[in-house]
Amino acid sequence: MNELSHRGLHDIRDESWNLYGQYTYITSYKPPIHAPYTNVNGSPNSLWTQAERGFTSTFTFFGGVRLWPGGEVYVVPELIAERAFSTLHGLGGSTENFELQKTGSEAPTLYRSRLFLRQNFDLGGRRVEKTSDPLQLASVVGSRRLVLTVGNFSALDIFDRNNVVGDLRQTFFNEAFMTHASWDFPADARGYTWGATAELYLGDWVVRVGRLAPPASPNSYPLDVRLWKTYGDQVEIEHDHKLFGRAGAVRLLAYRNYEVIGRFVEAIAALQADPTKNAAACTSYNYGSGNFRAPDLCWVRRPQVKVGVGINVEQYVADGVGVFARAMFSDGRTEVDAFDSADRDFSFGVVAKGSLWKRPFDMTGVAFAATFISDAHARYMSLGGIDAFTGDGRLERSGPEELFEAFYSLNLLRAIWFAGDYQFLANPAYNRDRGPEHVISGRFHAEF
Amino acid sequence: MRSSDRRRRASAIAIAVVLCAGPSMAQRPARGFDVERLYTSAPGGGWFVMDALDMRGKLGGAVTAIGSYARDPLRVTDGVQRLTVVSDQAFFQLGFAGTYDRFRLYATFDSPLIVQGDGGTIGGYTFTGPSVDPASSPDAIAHGRVGFDARLVGDYDAPLRLGIGFQLWIPGGAPGALRENYLSDGPPSDTLGAYTAMARVLLAGDYGAFTYAGHLGLSLRQLSDPVTPGSPQGSEAIFGAAGGAKLAACRACTMRFVLGPEVFGATALRAAFGTNTTALEGLVTGRFEGTTDDAPQLRVKLGVGGGLNAHFGAPEARIVVGVEVFQRSTK
Repeated sequence: MNELSHRGLHDIRDESWNLYGQYTYITSYKPPIHAPYTNVNGSPNSLWTQAERGFTSTFTFFGGVRLWPGGEVYVVPELIAERAFSTLHGLGGSTENFELQKTGSEAPTLYRSRLFLRQNFDLGGRRVEKTSDPLQLASVVGSRRLVLTVGNFSALDIFDRNNVVGDLRQTFFNEAFMTHASWDFPADARGYTWGATAELYLGDWVVRVGRLAPPASPNSYPLDVRLWKTYGDQVEIEHDHKLFGRAGAVRLLAYRNYEVIGRFVEAIAALQADPTKNAAACTSYNYGSGNFRAPDLCWVRRPQVKVGVGINVEQYVADGVGVFARAMFSDGRTEVDAFDSADRDFSFGVVAKGSLWKRPFDMTGVAFAATFISDAHARYMSLGGIDAFTGDGRLERSGPEELFEAFYSLNLLRAIWFAGDYQFLANPAYNRDRGPEHVISGRFHAEF
Repeated sequence: MRSSDRRRRASAIAIAVVLCAGPSMAQRPARGFDVERLYTSAPGGGWFVMDALDMRGKLGGAVTAIGSYARDPLRVTDGVQRLTVVSDQAFFQLGFAGTYDRFRLYATFDSPLIVQGDGGTIGGYTFTGPSVDPASSPDAIAHGRVGFDARLVGDYDAPLRLGIGFQLWIPGGAPGALRENYLSDGPPSDTLGAYTAMARVLLAGDYGAFTYAGHLGLSLRQLSDPVTPGSPQGSEAIFGAAGGAKLAACRACTMRFVLGPEVFGATALRAAFGTNTTALEGLVTGRFEGTTDDAPQLRVKLGVGGGLNAHFGAPEARIVVGVEVFQRSTK
């Protein structure tokens, strides 16, 4: 878009349309891990002990068009191919590559990740310049405004953004730094949903609310779009500030989902009352466990509430250097419906741009994350129960998944980045008896 | 043992082998394929299928949204019974085009909205009725398309304009069976369909209040299953023509109304213009569009029609609507 603007063919400050694209290839290698047992008693969810290589390849177009004053429509087709470690099982909140999708295959798959309408109602205030970016048309808007978004998008497009972490296609690789690991935001198996949100900007304060469609069955591809029957309600309050002249923000996020999910204690009680209600005998939607001694959520799924609350903090501390932190507490009573198998989490880290060492488009960062499961969740897994992603068939010593990550992203020619990354993960799937896991990754990323 | 006893025993064994041999050879599962044969024009092309070839000026473009509903696009008969394998098929297309002078580069993406029909056994084949709705495929793209058109002969408003066009169709993917739901030619129960390509010679012109367009081309299609009723039989020739009257919407305004028929079809090269290997469809198309350069223009169009030879993917009835925003820049 800048090139078209330089040639006088496009107004980069007040756009009627824009088009961006990106290509990212991530390759990851995991050496063998230590584990005294794997997939016990018919569980299919352990992280495999052998060495593995995984990858993702994504090619994305971001198109935006202004339809009328304040009205914009965006469409984002994407092509993805992937291979995950252990068929995307064996990790709770720390998947090594945030691009991995639950429905992925090695064959390139074309799909539409987003199609939504955004309407801006200007309520006055000082003028704020919105730059030209993917999913944003350049314009000048008021600092007081109401923004409505309706259609097909990701909850992460609206909620829980963090400017220090930024676009994970340029920073960290692990999903634990993309958002709260225990935020069970409604989504299909690719991570997108349908719904509506409203954002009220009042100068330095922003209030966001939204109702989004959950999957028809936990972690499944089809959605249940009957938003009056099952839904995920999200609320976020954001305050932008300057601390010692440096930009920062604090965001409080809460969610209340009403969806068809199972409770851990009820699955255990069902098995204890009737041993035929075990994991191997499921007659409804299930995750394929063959353990006839284990409880299973398939026997107890019904519409019920899942809640959580979290905080997201970002703060620049020097030119090009920012710190971030997140923490969330979810109720931990029920299974994961759409995101990670995690009930609580916190993470923190630092990201630095290369302006400090005269490479202004390079980036580097280090971060730490820990994710936890509730006591009920741990007991369910200790009895052999599994969920969408975790469950070794046994859990004698449970503990948090603990992740450390460091990356360096080298920029070439302004639009291309090469990155190297190292991750250390202790207690995969909350099991102190297995691991740790080391992951070494490389990334090629290009934008236009 | 007498020879007659041996023969009787051998016959009994043979009969038993046939009766015990798995599924009957006379009932085979029918595989799905991409039924849809409404090959839309590029964004900004004007007609639903034909292309007006009126690209001009400096950098311009178009954004289009099209919705189509087809009734009974796939009916199978053995001469006695009839089975409507696909009774309802609707899709939604989004497209973008960039134009410069006489050239156009574009991309479109088709998402299935509804595909449904009936299963059954007919003519020795067992058909499974498709079932697709927006909730079951919340982000599916049946196929994407990238294309390039060029006007080679004539100015944008000449009575005779000739051009060429090329398209590459990229199969979409959705968990579950694209092919079994009659959305793709790809392998069964696979997310990856088959790539196809299309090349066309384009014809258009304006003569007073009359405007016309046509095309003749080739669709390179990998899937060839001449045995299964209704299935594609390899590459196809595509053809079509449209013509209509241009009427100013009002004396002083810069909008006009274009009304006329579009007739288009496809025929398998290996059995060209056979009744069961040719789709022929007609639409009465009306469009209301702006005519000013150097400013965004709106085009709203509606097509109603159906199969003139309702085979090979041509439906009994179809309705298509389109909304387009386009701009031609002379500065």
